[in-house]
Amino acid sequence: MSNSSKVNRIKDQQPAVPPARLNLWLFMLASSMLFAAVVSAFIVHRPDAEGRGAWTAFDLPVFFLYSTIIVVASSVTAYLAQKNAKNDELAANRNLLLVTTVLGVLFCISQYLGWQQMIRLDLTFVNARPEDISASYVWVITALHFVHILGGIALLIATWISAVRLNVHKKSMGLMTITHTYWHFVGVLWIFLYLFLYFAQ
Amino acid sequence: MSTAAMHAEHHHHEEHHHHESFISKYVFSMDHKMISKQFLITGMIMGMVGMIMSLLFRLQLAWPDEQFSILETLLGKWAVDGKLDPNFYMGLVTIHGTIMVFYVLTAGLSGTFSNLLIPLQVGARDMASPFMNMLSYWFFLASSVVLLISVGVETGPASGGWTVYPPLSALEKAMPGSGLGMTLWLVAIALFIVSSLLGGINYISTVLNMRTKGMSMNRMPLTIWAFFFTAILGLLSFPVLLGAALFLIFDRSFGTSFYLSDIYLEGVGALENIGGSPVLYQHLFWFLGHPEVYIILMPALGITSEVISCNARKPIFGYTAMVISLMGISFLSFIVWGHHMFITGMNPFLGSVFMILTLIIAVPSAVKAFNYITTLWRGNLRFTPAMLFSIGLVSFFISGGLTGIYLGNAALDIQLHDSYFVVAHFHLVMGSAAIFGMFAGIYHWFPKMYGRMMNNTLGYVHFWMTFITAYLVFFPMHFMGLAGVPRRYYQFTLVKEFDVWMDVNKLITVSAIAAGVAQLFFLWNFFYSIFRGKKAGTNPWQATTLEWSTPEERIHGNWPGEIPTVYRGPHEYSRPDREEDFFPQYIPDESDLAQTETQKTKTAPSESEVEETESASVFFAAIKRVFGLS
Repeated sequence: MSNSSKVNRIKDQQPAVPPARLNLWLFMLASSMLFAAVVSAFIVHRPDAEGRGAWTAFDLPVFFLYSTIIVVASSVTAYLAQKNAKNDELAANRNLLLVTTVLGVLFCISQYLGWQQMIRLDLTFVNARPEDISASYVWVITALHFVHILGGIALLIATWISAVRLNVHKKSMGLMTITHTYWHFVGVLWIFLYLFLYFAQ
Repeated sequence: MSTAAMHAEHHHHEEHHHHESFISKYVFSMDHKMISKQFLITGMIMGMVGMIMSLLFRLQLAWPDEQFSILETLLGKWAVDGKLDPNFYMGLVTIHGTIMVFYVLTAGLSGTFSNLLIPLQVGARDMASPFMNMLSYWFFLASSVVLLISVGVETGPASGGWTVYPPLSALEKAMPGSGLGMTLWLVAIALFIVSSLLGGINYISTVLNMRTKGMSMNRMPLTIWAFFFTAILGLLSFPVLLGAALFLIFDRSFGTSFYLSDIYLEGVGALENIGGSPVLYQHLFWFLGHPEVYIILMPALGITSEVISCNARKPIFGYTAMVISLMGISFLSFIVWGHHMFITGMNPFLGSVFMILTLIIAVPSAVKAFNYITTLWRGNLRFTPAMLFSIGLVSFFISGGLTGIYLGNAALDIQLHDSYFVVAHFHLVMGSAAIFGMFAGIYHWFPKMYGRMMNNTLGYVHFWMTFITAYLVFFPMHFMGLAGVPRRYYQFTLVKEFDVWMDVNKLITVSAIAAGVAQLFFLWNFFYSIFRGKKAGTNPWQATTLEWSTPEERIHGNWPGEIPTVYRGPHEYSRPDREEDFFPQYIPDESDLAQTETQKTKTAPSESEVEETESASVFFAAIKRVFGLS
């Protein structure tokens, strides 16, 4: 028997925090820095009071507001899903995960409709008017967040499948906790971005 | 997969390790030690490429009117009649900088030693996520391949300097290298950022969460502190570079104008879209760029701390001061990026803020230099090749660091900006110092990586040749810079005022070639020793840290039995109460044994105590773990 197999019999001290959960927090920190960079670029680019003419300020599409409401609702359902899993209410957990996933998809649809609304107003990602660079920023910020939401939906689906296979319960909360934490992160991130874009223009 | 999960799985699949295939052991390995070797070998290959590139453009600078027919054979259309093409010269300068900064001194240095030493020195079986760790390497390799491919494309590699400032990098028509070469550069860097983040997350997570019993933060070797802060810098700054690169990609390929303002090429407006700011790119770039300097340097400083302490047979002077100075450097590195931009039309008041913050970095840096020297002072010095390279680092750190005080001064920087003075400064303080730290690490931990010793004589030849030639290459550049010679020029000696530097150019180039030859001694020594070096034994340097407690046979999981407990700090050398001049962290003395015995005989906790412990929040458990509270 090789030495390496002997290793397996030793019970090591377990890490205080599940490594995957700590890694997730660090990922969220890195991700926040990406948004901090993009948001800072927006602030730096925005002209001061004297140069206001070189910057198009526009009302955000109403669908972005609907998205905000949807994301808040989905955070509530994600929280309840987590709570039910902790209490071994497995059916409720599964259903709430499904509802959260559907709300995530609805969020995506709402964002898509918001972008359509922007296109109708001629506030496209690429445009010939220097003052409409503000619209380009809105596109970049919302699209980057959209990518994060897609990741969250993938996690929700994975957790739901795991729950259907009865692998999510009081004593097996790893994936559920990660999904729950990440979903709150993308939710809070959207609320911040929406408020920022609403007020900072 | 987490280590915990990995172990759980191993319980069920014990035979997992028995039949490790060649692919799983050497190619898609999840063992941190193998991954560290993969980073090292790839970094070395990239280093050779970067160095050869520098020799090519040095040839052009020293003998601009000579024809080297071999160049045409090697480079084809980029060296017609044996004379280097100006565009390719710019490409070589750009890719040399990119390779050395990112691929050798970030991934090659930090990737190698963080991977090798973090689990071994904190007492973990592997990284927090071995799978992510493996991905980190493969993203790095993919990134390296893409960058090397970019050198061979028809229009040449990216040529606007390693900082790839727009508009040069954003407009495909600006120069040949701004075409496909630049696109590939961006792809390579995007892959590199992913690699760096995957690695960095793992490093931080492992240090915070996976330390063995007794390894409180204040018992961690300084290497670990350095890798830890380096990973934090990377985690916080690389995403900003990703943001900068995204905007650049949008401007190049989609037609936006985040960075592009009114630009005319041959009298014709180059763009439909205007209104962007190229200075915005500089802000975003240097928000990464300056911490990047410390991402490069700090691992080398950490390695040097360990090597100097071990080979001076003394505890490092001022352990806490060393940790605090690393912390101070890390913090300050985020708020000084403006010193790269003094001449961008920055508000002079803002410039003075950046200047003061920059000059403050001299304080923690001086603490480190002082502590290295005082550790050496009256030490029982062993001049191993690793020790010589560490002392070499201290020399470069001081001589290169001093000129940082000149350049950090806004008024002086207006004169010195983009001159050879800058080239001299960063090649000494960042380039040479960091590469010397890397060599120190290789010589010192080679026995741990391969179980064999490197040849000392070849090591000495390597050190002295490299040390002398590095100074011969970079020191004269200070004077060229002071005289106003600009960097990145294809043939600056054509300018009447600068033709006096021709002889110096030749001296520098000959020295650079000698430096290149010196590396052949190293390469021979490295690869020969892997197979034929003297067997090393478990602890050839009589060092105190945990990695030397692992058996000679290198196994995935590091220790065949329990992971050792740590009883003391990492630098217990020459203790007057001990016969041997080193007292490893993992060997208990009588009082440690008595304490362990007391803990064993403690009564079992009551049911309510158990319940309380179980319901205690993970957060407090983590805090306790981080600070090593029992």
